[in-house]
Amino acid sequence: MKSFLSAEFVFATVQYESGDWDSAQLVPPNIIDTIARYTEIIVAPTGVVVALAEDRMLRFPLLYLTGHLPVRFNDAERRNLKRFVDRGGMLFVDDHNHDVDGVFHKTATEEIARAVGPLIDLPNDHPLYSAFFKFDGPPTTSHELNGWGDNLVHKNLQAVMHNGRIGVLYSSKDYSSEWGYHPDNKRFQSVDNTRFAVNIVVYALTA
Amino acid sequence: MRLPRRRFEQGCRVGAFALLGWLIGTSVFPSTSHRVEVARASDVAGRLASWTRSAASIPLHGEFSVTPEPWIVDWMRALARSGHAVSWSGKPPAVAISVRAMPDPGGGTQIDVAAPPGTRVAVRDEAGLIDSVRVVRLGARLVSPAVVGGVTASAGDQHFGAAPPDSATVKSVVVIGQASWEGKFIVSALEERGWPVIARFSVAPGVEVTQGMSGGLVLDTSTVAAVVATDTTIARYSDAVSRFVREGGGLVLAGPSSAARSMALLAPGTLEARYRPTMEPSDTIALGATGFYPVTALKSDGIAIEQRPAGIAMAARRVGAGRVMQVGYDDSWRWRMAGGSGSAAAHREWWSGVVASVAFAGGTPGAQLGSGNEASAPLAWMVDRLGAARIGPPTGGSHGPFDRRIFIMLIMILLLSEWASRRLRGLR
Repeated sequence: MKSFLSAEFVFATVQYESGDWDSAQLVPPNIIDTIARYTEIIVAPTGVVVALAEDRMLRFPLLYLTGHLPVRFNDAERRNLKRFVDRGGMLFVDDHNHDVDGVFHKTATEEIARAVGPLIDLPNDHPLYSAFFKFDGPPTTSHELNGWGDNLVHKNLQAVMHNGRIGVLYSSKDYSSEWGYHPDNKRFQSVDNTRFAVNIVVYALTA
Repeated sequence: MRLPRRRFEQGCRVGAFALLGWLIGTSVFPSTSHRVEVARASDVAGRLASWTRSAASIPLHGEFSVTPEPWIVDWMRALARSGHAVSWSGKPPAVAISVRAMPDPGGGTQIDVAAPPGTRVAVRDEAGLIDSVRVVRLGARLVSPAVVGGVTASAGDQHFGAAPPDSATVKSVVVIGQASWEGKFIVSALEERGWPVIARFSVAPGVEVTQGMSGGLVLDTSTVAAVVATDTTIARYSDAVSRFVREGGGLVLAGPSSAARSMALLAPGTLEARYRPTMEPSDTIALGATGFYPVTALKSDGIAIEQRPAGIAMAARRVGAGRVMQVGYDDSWRWRMAGGSGSAAAHREWWSGVVASVAFAGGTPGAQLGSGNEASAPLAWMVDRLGAARIGPPTGGSHGPFDRRIFIMLIMILLLSEWASRRLRGLR
């Protein structure tokens, strides 16, 4: 169907052939709410879902990918991910299991390494942590503090760097669970735990 | 009846011999009071020595189909200074060349050629032919990765050229706007090309993300080559930007940025409502395929740089010592991300070219019009040295073989009339 292309920032979730790509359906509206709440970035009120295998995914330079199940990219997905990163896009991957021994972590990191290169630990003084709000490193999640998943507090995020910028940002923190609630419920929190999402979006838009 | 005829015949004889005597006399003792020396471009060089030795009262005139070499024009200028009346006529082609090192990290030399429409111009350096172009309107532009020595051009028999340019200094580019994909990918493109980039992106009221700078933003042509504005955020810096441009800096007003009132004074034209074509999800995106802000109501000194069916996509003008480029595109990032093979590189080259075309280069170009380089704009330079062209040689007495032929013809007519008259009355 023909359509106009919007000038707004559009939050895009990646659909991939294997696994449960739609396991965190409340995250996109929550992040969109956060962007609108704290910044003057013009953001589309609803997110979109784009297939990693389709060229259309290249129209969204920040992509969010999550899941619990094994991730196996097909050739088109692998090829598109490489094109996406080479052209300056940023893929944010979050392990919804919070488990470095889990199948998502093992398979997703393998696929990322195969498509665009190995992940390295991102230093906790990286500009990502000061792009908007100031953080000393990746904020912890209630899931890792409660001992769910691998029972670890992950001190670093990981990344594939491309031309000095983050091409793939990989989290074992399970932000997908932490941010998976309706934005109206933020009023019950003393500190908004989605603020780090602002840093990810602002970093992607400015670095 | 015979007496008038005899008188007529006598008159013819006397007239013919008088004219003959006058011709011989003026040949042996040339008169300087009415003589004009005329030479063409092909033989003027050989005449200069004799012109120099001739009396100052003799007017000197050149008939030129091409502009003579600079030393000839200089010599004629010297003769004019020494008291000769020096003039010229003809229609040499109005040509000019400007060679400039591009202030682009990738280097390159920009060669601008001006010539009458339809003229084919061949451009060479000391290593050989660079390229040839047919001038469509006023001029043509070539970009060569490198040139060896000076650059010469030829348009028919007219030759002109310019000295090799000094290397340009690459200074910073400042990118200002709201946090957006367009701003981000402009910065990426320029940095990948090697430009030092200072970015200032607004993300929230009173909150800006900066890159490549510490302290306040200082727009100074000693350190900054150009400013790129992606939206009306630039209005916050309007005074500094205006001063920067008038001092020689470059300004690229991309997307809706020239809609800011303070920028409208600098912009080549005004913006119409954005043109938004529809697209299929599977369409490969090219530059402009997603629409743009058409530039309209160009100012008197504004020049359309890129015309599309939906309107002018790019326009430029000079403001003070600087240059302003208005770019209607506001989402060139889509071309980079979702374009065909090589679109990222094309996007990089395109943005670098846009910035280089307005950037403050500093240094001295190899040749610029009006700089006194006689070879780069020969006709303009000759007009400057010798004055404007005349319609033809100055009128006067004998000033060439044409006048003498008239007198010889007149002598023959007189003698023929005298002979015919005598024969008609039966004499031999």
